[in-house]
Amino acid sequence: MTARAFAGMMQARLYVSRRLVAYSCGCAVLVALVAPAGVTAPLFLCSLVGIVIALDQTPGRHRHLDRCEQSAPLFGRELARAKALVPCIAALLATVLFACTQFSRGSPYGLNTLLVVPPAVVACALTALSATTRRGATRALYVLLACAVMGAAYALAVIADTFLAELAFCVLVAFFALRQYGETLARFDPI
Amino acid sequence: MPLLRMRDASFANATARAGPLTLDLEPGGRVALTFSSAQEATIVALMAAGIAKATTGSVLIGDYDPRVQSVHCKRIAGFVPHEPLPLDEGDFPRYVAYRAALWNVEAIAAQADARLLCERLEGMHEAFAFPLIGALIAMPRLIVLDRPQPAYAAQILRAVEGCALLSTHAQRSNAAAFA
Repeated sequence: MTARAFAGMMQARLYVSRRLVAYSCGCAVLVALVAPAGVTAPLFLCSLVGIVIALDQTPGRHRHLDRCEQSAPLFGRELARAKALVPCIAALLATVLFACTQFSRGSPYGLNTLLVVPPAVVACALTALSATTRRGATRALYVLLACAVMGAAYALAVIADTFLAELAFCVLVAFFALRQYGETLARFDPI
Repeated sequence: MPLLRMRDASFANATARAGPLTLDLEPGGRVALTFSSAQEATIVALMAAGIAKATTGSVLIGDYDPRVQSVHCKRIAGFVPHEPLPLDEGDFPRYVAYRAALWNVEAIAAQADARLLCERLEGMHEAFAFPLIGALIAMPRLIVLDRPQPAYAAQILRAVEGCALLSTHAQRSNAAAFA
């Protein structure tokens, strides 16, 4: 896959989800204005944003993009990488805006937000992506799994106060989630 | 040698079924197939474009099997869906750039080709013309149309001149326009 195809896919996906991304960013700023202290609010909020935007990549929601991508000469794992980056970018943007609002309000937690939240956001979004190629109970199970990842990241980073453990956990989860999503997408039946 | 070869190709899953179908389509040839339902027409079109894999039988697109070499198949076949594209005139350059990026076609050449094709498809509603233009800028050797609009048959046939054409239909009268 060329970098151009990768960027083209990502740009098109972000463009069709632009309203959702804008509302998420607005929501992040609003919550940061109301509750600027701690990293609990940004961790849960931005991870949920990642999950929601990942679910927005469900085949059928943007049918013309799905058909273009399915008919393009690309491998499943290449499609997976480009599609996976969309919820990650959107949720990371919300995280950065949250941290900027914390900085602007003089809260000392801005830097913590920038350190602790991104790994959780990426792991949750990538786990939730596997739900998009499934239906019914399995889909719900993957969404619950993404929420469980969010809870585990919170437990490691905030309750146990071990950032490195959270980082290691999220990297591991993200790696396997992306791998599985790529394999599922390669076998995905568009009918 | 046929560009598209289907041998007892059929598709079946829990909710959909199509085929079996046997056909040979030569380079530059044209075939319009009629099916009993819109769903069957769509499935056969997706199989012919290498997007859906036949569950039994075989499909070869330019000697490539979509089950193992789907990327090669998709370089040969261009697929045009039945659904109109929900874009307006202003989105057209962005759409062409997107398609050109996915197929790794040079961006400026793609925009120029797209403008030429737009002229050839004059009179055709943009919602139906844009997906066809998007498929044609990748210079496919085979164009697969899923239930195209018979009202635009003349424009479509003019635009795809030189390519092999397979169209699927749910009504015999519609197929006649593309035969």
